[in-house]
Amino acid sequence: MDQQEANILTVEGLNVSYGNFQAVQNVSFSVRRGEIFGLLGPNGAGKTSTLSAVEGLLKPESGSINVDGYNAAEKPLYARASLGVQLQSTSFQPELFVIEVLQLYGGIYGLSLTKNDVLAILRDINLEDQAFKKFGQLSGGQQQRVSLVIATIHNPKLVLLDEPTTGLDPQSRRQLWERIEAIREKGHAVLLTTHSMEEAESVCDRIAIIDHGRVIAIDTPQAMIDKHREDKEVIAVSRRGKITLEDVFIALTGKAVRA
Amino acid sequence: METVIPKTSTVLAALLKADLTTQWRNRRAVILTLIVPVIILMSWKGLVAAAGGPFVLSNSITIGLIATGLMSYSNAIARDRDKGIFQRLRVAPVAPWTIILSRLIVQMMMILAITTLVFIVGNNYDKITLTPAGYAFSYLTAIIGGAVYLSLGQMIVGRITSPETVSSTTRLVYFVFIMVGMFGELNVLGKSVHDLEHWSPYGTVKTIVAVSMEPGKWNSDTSTSLLLTIGYALVFATLGIKWFKWNTK
Ligand SMILES: Nc1ncnc2c1ncn2[C@@H]1O[C@H](COP(=O)(O)OP(=O)(O)OP(=O)(O)O)[C@@H](O)[C@H]1O
Ligand SMILES: [Mg+2]
Repeated sequence: MDQQEANILTVEGLNVSYGNFQAVQNVSFSVRRGEIFGLLGPNGAGKTSTLSAVEGLLKPESGSINVDGYNAAEKPLYARASLGVQLQSTSFQPELFVIEVLQLYGGIYGLSLTKNDVLAILRDINLEDQAFKKFGQLSGGQQQRVSLVIATIHNPKLVLLDEPTTGLDPQSRRQLWERIEAIREKGHAVLLTTHSMEEAESVCDRIAIIDHGRVIAIDTPQAMIDKHREDKEVIAVSRRGKITLEDVFIALTGKAVRA
Repeated sequence: METVIPKTSTVLAALLKADLTTQWRNRRAVILTLIVPVIILMSWKGLVAAAGGPFVLSNSITIGLIATGLMSYSNAIARDRDKGIFQRLRVAPVAPWTIILSRLIVQMMMILAITTLVFIVGNNYDKITLTPAGYAFSYLTAIIGGAVYLSLGQMIVGRITSPETVSSTTRLVYFVFIMVGMFGELNVLGKSVHDLEHWSPYGTVKTIVAVSMEPGKWNSDTSTSLLLTIGYALVFATLGIKWFKWNTK
């Protein structure tokens, strides 16, 4: 397999600006088929901006994005057809029932789902009895489950999840990890962002740390820990003598809280 | 594995079903939009004898078109954009224009509903009847006229991002239209105001709708009004599309 075939997503030299402010600077990384790739970085690092460029929500200043062999700038619909997306702040039409939202997105992805199909999908995530509620009436965790199921409704080759577990209780979080791993089992890839180092260590095959719009490290979580284990910045921030991914993350991105 | 893009017709059908459901769930607001032209129609009953049925019908329809195009359409777009609903739709393999097209189809249905309602109430309450050609022709001009206010609504959501400001702006413009329309039509403020009104986006629409009810009365003034109406729609739509942004951030 050549590079092109091994990678479901390739981002090269990506630059994204908002007016004069450059939020993403020369970012390059690739996500392999069948891998869970984590994008880590402090608030405002440029994670959502990077994903937005991949999703086609914003036009990058420069750089190239390739999804499953399709250049996202030249063939946006083909690139997007292979993507399943959960945005950081998801909103669906507040007038629609959950079941109708699922039918809408099924239709948008070219599936014709009967009412029973949709109920089966909801049963699978334990939300069958919420089918006739409005999305806004669900709890935060239930909303997350619905938007994840919508992101994967068309069995996409690459699923983009922007902070999928923020606000979830430990049970739901574990369950979501299992669902994310199930996506990988099917041979599909996941690109997610998270602020949880525990999550990155537990589910991600590889991670990229991004800060001030730049990628500062890409590796497996374990290799990243091993590589920086002896750094004095890492040892300085470590607690109780055990070096964690969080220590490495803080050492690499600095202690300051972001604006 | 071959990548397949969903058919436009499938996508549009899904969007339309959702948009019609939304419209149905908002039926109270829809009814209010429908009621304004009916109130005007009923309260102007006394004018039917003096000014004629088409005069009263066309003013009612025009007010209804303004309410739906300028107010309902633009406020719904502003709200959904602000909530990020369009962003979520746009990450799907959907050509962006289908999202708007679906909204416009719903509005077109509203235009037909308003026109039909005005005809029914006009017939039952004010005893106004038109020839079959008159009815058919006025549906056509109502749609052309409706396009002016829809594109004006598009222009407003193109320029203004905050839903609150869109709401107050459209209400203001609606109010101005009603004032200009009423005073201009009733000719109480003199000739210059009357002329201004006649060639305004209110007057040209009202003229083409009114004359199409009696197609035999079509003259050069009506043709000029039709051209101006189309011109207004084109200018507003061009600017509205050019300025439009899908997100408010
Ligand atoms: N629409 C916008 N206009 C101007 N600046 C923006 C816009 N969106 C994001 N930014 C800025 O770009 C930078 C990167 O934002 P982004 O949302 O990509 O960060 P993030 O890594 O996703 O952060 P978080 O972890 O808080 O979600 C931030 O400094 C942010 O203020
Ligand atoms: Mg973010």
